[in-house]
Amino acid sequence: MREIRALGEPATAADGTAPGRRGAGRVLVAVYGTFALAAGARAAVQLSTKFAEAPVAYLLSALAAVIYIVATVGLVRGGRGGRRTALVAISAELVGVLVVGTFSLADRAAFPDETVWSVYGQGYGFVPLVLPVLGLLVLRRTAQKSPPKSPPPPKSSPPPSP
Amino acid sequence: MGPVQGPIVVAITVVAVVLAVLGVASTLARRRIGLLHLAVAAVLELLLLVQAVLAVVRMAGGDTPPETATFSGYLAGIVLVPVAGSLWARTEQTRWAGTVVAVTAAVVGVMIWRLLQLWEAPRA
Repeated sequence: MREIRALGEPATAADGTAPGRRGAGRVLVAVYGTFALAAGARAAVQLSTKFAEAPVAYLLSALAAVIYIVATVGLVRGGRGGRRTALVAISAELVGVLVVGTFSLADRAAFPDETVWSVYGQGYGFVPLVLPVLGLLVLRRTAQKSPPKSPPPPKSSPPPSP
Repeated sequence: MGPVQGPIVVAITVVAVVLAVLGVASTLARRRIGLLHLAVAAVLELLLLVQAVLAVVRMAGGDTPPETATFSGYLAGIVLVPVAGSLWARTEQTRWAGTVVAVTAAVVGVMIWRLLQLWEAPRA
């Protein structure tokens, strides 16, 4: 039995099949979960209190929320279906942030109120622009790792015990 | 200006920054998160709950911020973040557990200032 230390036990190498449940993928899921919550709450407020003011922008807000939720679920579930779901959702997210970001700059009148993707996610520190790229990278990396099961990745091996 | 909100917002920010640093440190040290992370996250959660109760009391007294729905959403959402983050990080066995904690701490740090901004918006 390992000693429980205040600073945490030594880490072990990543394993498992769901991209969102191992290593860096888990960080990604934490961020996706946050954005699912943030975009969902924002869309709910916008749609319920002032839908008529800017229906297009608010529906895009809701679409963004749905995409974040689907991506989060796909990453956590993993497997072939989960990966494909995550891939589709994250690709849609990348297209969405680029298209909405561009339109929000080109036609301010059509986007009078902020959405998660306005000005490429400026209101959220541009995280919405970086997130899909990181998501696609993690999906690609875990796909390359998945097939050969035997050799464990050497770079995150546990430190030698004292 | 919520007299109760200023100091506690600063306290929450400080604890959130400490938690973020601890999280990054454990990732750099290639360790999982430990009791220290959970203890600091618990302190953060406690502060957030106190702050939520104070805000709800003020709102029940009729002092509601203009964007009541958004404010309430942030108020309810922010107390969930450290709990969800700690649960999600605790079962992680790789060094990335600390980064999960750091991300959630950063989220709290951002949300708390947005909450203050919403609270301090001029009343109609």
